[in-house]
Amino acid sequence: MASLRLQNVGKRYGATTVIHSIDLDVPDGEFVVFVGPSGCGKSTLLRMIAGLEDVTSGEVGIDGKRVNEISAAQRGLAMVFQSYALYPHMSVYQNLAFGLENLRTPRVEIDAKVQGAARMLRLDALLERRPTQLSGGQRQRVAIGRAIVRDPTIFLFDEPLSNLDAELRVQMRAEITALHKRLGTTMIYVTHDQVEAMTMADRIVVLRAGKVEQVGTPLELYNHPANRFVAGFIGSPQMNFLNGRVAGADAERIRVALDAMGSAAAEALPLRGASASPEQAVVLGIRPEHIGLGAATAPSLSLPAKIDRIEQLGASSFLYCTVGAGERLTVHVAGQVPHVSGETVTVTLPVADSHLFAATEGGAAFPRR
Amino acid sequence: MARLVAFLSAQRGRARADWTDWVSYAYLLLGLLLMFGPVLWLVLSSFKSPAALNEFPPQLLPYGQKTVIVAGHEKPLPLFSATLPDGTTRELAEVRRIGIQATLVDPAAPEEEYKVNIRDRKPVRHFELATSNYTEVFGKFSFGTYLWNTVFITVIATLITLLFNAMAAFALSKYRFGGRDAVFVLIISTLMIPPTIILVPNFLVVSELGLLNSLWGVIWPAVATPTGVFLLRQYMLTIPDELLDAARMDHASEWRIFWRIVLPLSAPALAVLAIFSVMWRWNDFLWPLIVLSRSEKFTLQLALNAFQGELTTEWHYLLAMTVITLLPVTLVFAFLQRHITTGIASAGVK
Repeated sequence: MASLRLQNVGKRYGATTVIHSIDLDVPDGEFVVFVGPSGCGKSTLLRMIAGLEDVTSGEVGIDGKRVNEISAAQRGLAMVFQSYALYPHMSVYQNLAFGLENLRTPRVEIDAKVQGAARMLRLDALLERRPTQLSGGQRQRVAIGRAIVRDPTIFLFDEPLSNLDAELRVQMRAEITALHKRLGTTMIYVTHDQVEAMTMADRIVVLRAGKVEQVGTPLELYNHPANRFVAGFIGSPQMNFLNGRVAGADAERIRVALDAMGSAAAEALPLRGASASPEQAVVLGIRPEHIGLGAATAPSLSLPAKIDRIEQLGASSFLYCTVGAGERLTVHVAGQVPHVSGETVTVTLPVADSHLFAATEGGAAFPRR
Repeated sequence: MARLVAFLSAQRGRARADWTDWVSYAYLLLGLLLMFGPVLWLVLSSFKSPAALNEFPPQLLPYGQKTVIVAGHEKPLPLFSATLPDGTTRELAEVRRIGIQATLVDPAAPEEEYKVNIRDRKPVRHFELATSNYTEVFGKFSFGTYLWNTVFITVIATLITLLFNAMAAFALSKYRFGGRDAVFVLIISTLMIPPTIILVPNFLVVSELGLLNSLWGVIWPAVATPTGVFLLRQYMLTIPDELLDAARMDHASEWRIFWRIVLPLSAPALAVLAIFSVMWRWNDFLWPLIVLSRSEKFTLQLALNAFQGELTTEWHYLLAMTVITLLPVTLVFAFLQRHITTGIASAGVK
């Protein structure tokens, strides 16, 4: 049980900076997920917390103590690796016991702990097997078991489910969540899969190119993305982005003119527009599941869309449309729709669910009222 | 057995042997003859008596002259097939020979003597293994001492070679430090220096350390081998770093990682190096010859050399001891050759 604090933590390899001064506080018992596209530095950050990589600048603190200079072996953390990294020449039992042996734990205690962990993870029958004789899911459980037996203060997971098939992944996701509930230990979990992040996390840290883009609970990120990157990264299918410019703004609302509509919209967005300047280029973001077809029931922007492709799943339908001069728009509606591809329909974008981002590099969001 | 037959009669064509089968079998046979012929010759010759060894033309199989015990004679007498003056041929035992005149007797009736020209009698020979070559060699020379010296050098040098080379390879393959590649290239480049060039400097060092006429004087200069470092390093590169990281998370010290993770996983490469080292040390001749000059410190190879006297060479003992000397390396190779091929293949070296 421990809390973790990162202060201005940075990492450089020669002239290349891979982690730009990150600040993060993880209270005791929280399940935090680092998510981001590959190469964003999330695994490096995890390895820095583990002590497997040096910290170039800043400070890593566990339970209020600076641990920069403490080796991985002494930090009392446990890590589950993407490749599981089970010792191939040892049996499952020996794999689980290795860490305890290194701590010079008495034999009897080792046996009790290994048996306990094995029971918890349903590995009892497999203790004499070698890792090569196990299936992917079993290896994964051994890797987790190896972390559990040492009662670590913090669990670190480095994309532990990425080598499993889809069905097993869902099952293991539930098992890890259940494990967190039972043990109550702080867990830090790295993944590039936003579904894993959304389903497991107490809090999500979205990383891009070595920088923290946003930290928040899954629903905060979904409902209030801080910028265009987070908005696009969280949610599946991806949020739609339509280019436009500010037609008018005050402290309470912003009126936009979308390129796809040609003129200023009838409805204003309920956003704080103090920082918006007239004619400023902006991007309107709207999630596929918030777009409606036909007559609007709430204040909305309406525009015609040509259906390019349509996917009917029975319970829901996906419409892949083109609006204006070739901007793509994905629509996700519940139930089945009577449309065919090639048809032009009217789509409605509810203003309450619309997001607006500056059309700049960072793409910061205009805050909600 | 059935598998052996199937293996030996494998052919390319389904029904009839293809011409390529004939060529391959001829080629393989030639290879077998070239490789195995001398060894077979050596083993067969080691069972020959001194007389049979000096025979010309030489015989492939060890033959000995038949002897019989004849009443009235202490020693067994050699048996000859003699053509008597009356034209009959009989098997007779030779009592004595003076000049070209041999005196023969019938073993059944030793009273009657026959005098025959030596050209009219041929020795009666039969297949006979002169096992005495082997039994006597143990008693005649301090074979046990030579064997012990050789085994001691081989085993200790191999163990130290494995340990030192594995530690060097571990550092060179798994740690990032300045000058790592330079060190590695330096080690590898020593392969280009022929051992004969450093013979004298090595001797001076060993002499200054007072290791002359000591088995350690043979062991220490031989334990650090660039081949071993290279072989093990290449193999250790294939061990995933994540395993080492996992062990570090498991509170393992670097020494424990080396001992419990890296060494066991390098077993195939270690086996290869062990076999090489055993063969090198066992067959080593020049260096022990220089360092060891007292006969009680001789290795088997030096003892073999000592058999070749200035005036006479006791070939039958020399051959018998050569066979005994060959046996351990042959056994090691025969049982571990599977490791050699897989180990060499996986270490990525030819």
